This record gives sequence, structure tokens and C-alpha cells, in this order.
Amino acid sequence: MEDKEIYERVVKVISEVLGVDKEKIKPESRFVEDLGAESVQSLELVAAFENEFDIEMEEEAALEVKTVGKAVEFIKQYLK
Amino acid sequence: MKLIERFIEEAKKLNRKVVFPEGTDERIIIAASELKKEKIAQPVLIGKREEIEKVAENIKADISEIEIINPEEVDYFDHLVSLYMEHRKNIKKSIAEKLVKRPLIFGGMLVASGKVSTMVAGAVNTTANVIQSAALTVGYLPEISSASSFFIMALPDGRVFFYADCAVNITPDENQLAEIAYATALNYKKLMKDTPKVAFLSFSTKGSASHPLVEKVQKAVEIAREKYKDFLFDGEFQADTAIVESVAKRKVKEVSEVAGKANVLIFPDLNAGNIAYKLTQYLAGADAYGPILQGFAKPVSDLSRGAKVKDIIGTVAITCLQT
Repeated sequence: MEDKEIYERVVKVISEVLGVDKEKIKPESRFVEDLGAESVQSLELVAAFENEFDIEMEEEAALEVKTVGKAVEFIKQYLK
Repeated sequence: MKLIERFIEEAKKLNRKVVFPEGTDERIIIAASELKKEKIAQPVLIGKREEIEKVAENIKADISEIEIINPEEVDYFDHLVSLYMEHRKNIKKSIAEKLVKRPLIFGGMLVASGKVSTMVAGAVNTTANVIQSAALTVGYLPEISSASSFFIMALPDGRVFFYADCAVNITPDENQLAEIAYATALNYKKLMKDTPKVAFLSFSTKGSASHPLVEKVQKAVEIAREKYKDFLFDGEFQADTAIVESVAKRKVKEVSEVAGKANVLIFPDLNAGNIAYKLTQYLAGADAYGPILQGFAKPVSDLSRGAKVKDIIGTVAITCLQT
């Protein structure tokens, strides 16, 4: 999968789960501070990424990811 | 009789259904078989039957009469998924299905749907995970916006104090402090069957010092009194003014039903709360029960990952009494 496609699908998922416009989502955006995520939504984001990419992520490590760019990197390791 | 033994006796009268999402953990299995045998609560283990039975066989625990639920096999799974989606509007069905298959979320949905009374987890999962799962499923009490925790401190002379928050909120603001006070007052009333007298603690008594940290506590008292009229709140008090009547008489000029008589102590932040409970435990020889989670619409409790079987049973008893 191309990096661009992964990024776009990550943005789509974030937009749906957090209910924010895709335009507002940048690689450096922090989920809580910049995108207004409540901490409880991190579990939903993890499940949504797993669903989108058909992967199973290591939950505790996944919950440590704080920005959109880091999420893309984190997901990539499961797609190889 | 120790306080915890009294709670266990009272829990027996209720014999509530309690769900354990960490159904394959050895300590949980032993605790479940004890709870069933002693008729303290009706345990429900989440997980695959053959896996749980294998662990039980290895440790020779009798789970023959314990209910085991595998989220993927229950006929009401779809009902729980739609119930989840009613609470969480942005979540698509496929994602909700994935979430509800997770033991912590599934357990939370069993509580939310009323199929069981309470959930106890955290022997394997982190506290943050337990809190988030409960927030997503059970949700918070009206007028409460986040989870907090309390400790029950039972002193050798028989006195009992509730301390909060000693484990969850690091730097609560005035609104959170007021919420913590309210949630702890509710639990004091339920567990102790007595009137909670809630003192907000500080290094200042009724304006004896002025500092932004004192002002935060003063504001919290005002908010609590305004918002939660059913309970007695007062402060800000230094700790001695809160619990020693002779000191209170000297330092507090106005009439107060709390000063010198407080039984619920609200600490200004986690530094103070956590230090205070450990000092009380080790210097005063108090038994410390907790941290018990609070603020959820229905009780959910966290265990420490080092919890022993005895701790699990105690937590279950206290959690059942919160229902």
C-alpha cells in the first residue's frame, strides 16, 4: 500500500470517529489538543484503524500514539 | 469485626451479579469460585470456556457452577452492539462490533444493559483502559463528567474516613474537585449508611492564607454547595481543623456542621491525596481499601495488577454495595 493511501485512509477514519473535517487533520495534529479527542475515544480510534486496515494492533502501545503522523507510522508496521 | 468483613456480609445479602472480563486470570478464577461458594456475589467470567476451564483445572479451582460468557457466542451480541451505537453516535457498526467483542467493553455493555450489576477488572488491564472502557459503555452519573477514586481508611480505633482523590486525577480543577467531593459523599452514604460530612482540605483554614491554590479549593466548596445541595460541604480547612473538634472550635468562627467532624476528606491534588493515604496507612496503622473507582452511572471497579485473591473479593464486596 502506498504511503499516500495509508495517510488518506487514516485521515478518513479520524474524521469519522472524532467528527472533525478532513481539512483540519494534518500529520502534526495531536488527537487530544488539536483535534479535540476525549481520552475515551482513543479506544474507538484503535478499533477503527484495525477495522479499516484489517489488522490487530498491540493495544497498550497503540494507546500511546499521540499524533496523526505517528499513527500512520504505527499502522505501517502492521502492513508490511 | 473488620470493616471489610462487614462489607462482605452486607454484599451477601445483595448477592449481585458481577462480571470479570479477565476470565482466564488465575486470581480471578479463584476469587470467582470463592465468591460463588461463599454466596457473596454471582460471578460471570468472560472468555472462551475451554481456555478458562483449562486454567481452572491447573489450579484446581471449582468453576462448575460459574457462568462463562464468550462475547462471540451470545445471541444478544447484536443487541449490545446497537446499544453501544446509541450512546456513541460516530461509531459505525463494523467498528462497534469490533469494540464490543473486547472483554472490557463487552463487560461494560453487560453492566450498561442491566444483564449484570457491576464489573471488576484491572488484574491484567491498565487502570486507564478500565476507566475508558467504563466511560464508553456505562457512562457517568448525571452531573459527573469524569472518573475519580476514593480510599476507605479504617483506623485501629474504629473510626472510618473516606479519602479522595488519591489515585486518578493528578491536578483536578475546582469543578473536578467539586465532582470528586460529590461522588465520594454518595459512596460514603451508601457504604457507611451515615451522613457524609465533606471537608475540602488545604494548607489554609477559611482564608487564613491567600494563594491561587487556596482559591481553587474555596471555589470548589462554592461549586459543590451550589450544585449538590443534598450534602454537607465545607472548607477550605487544614487537616486538623477538619477532624479535631477542639482545633475546629478555635480556628473556625462560623457555625459549621463539618469542621472538626469531617468523615470525607477531599485533597486538593494527587500529591496531597496519595501521600496522605499512605501516611495514614503506615503511621497510624489504618487499613486502606481502594482505590475504588467512582463517578460511573453504575459501579465499575479497578484492581491493581498485583491484586491478590483476598483484594479481589474485598473490591467485589465494596463494588456490590455501590449498586
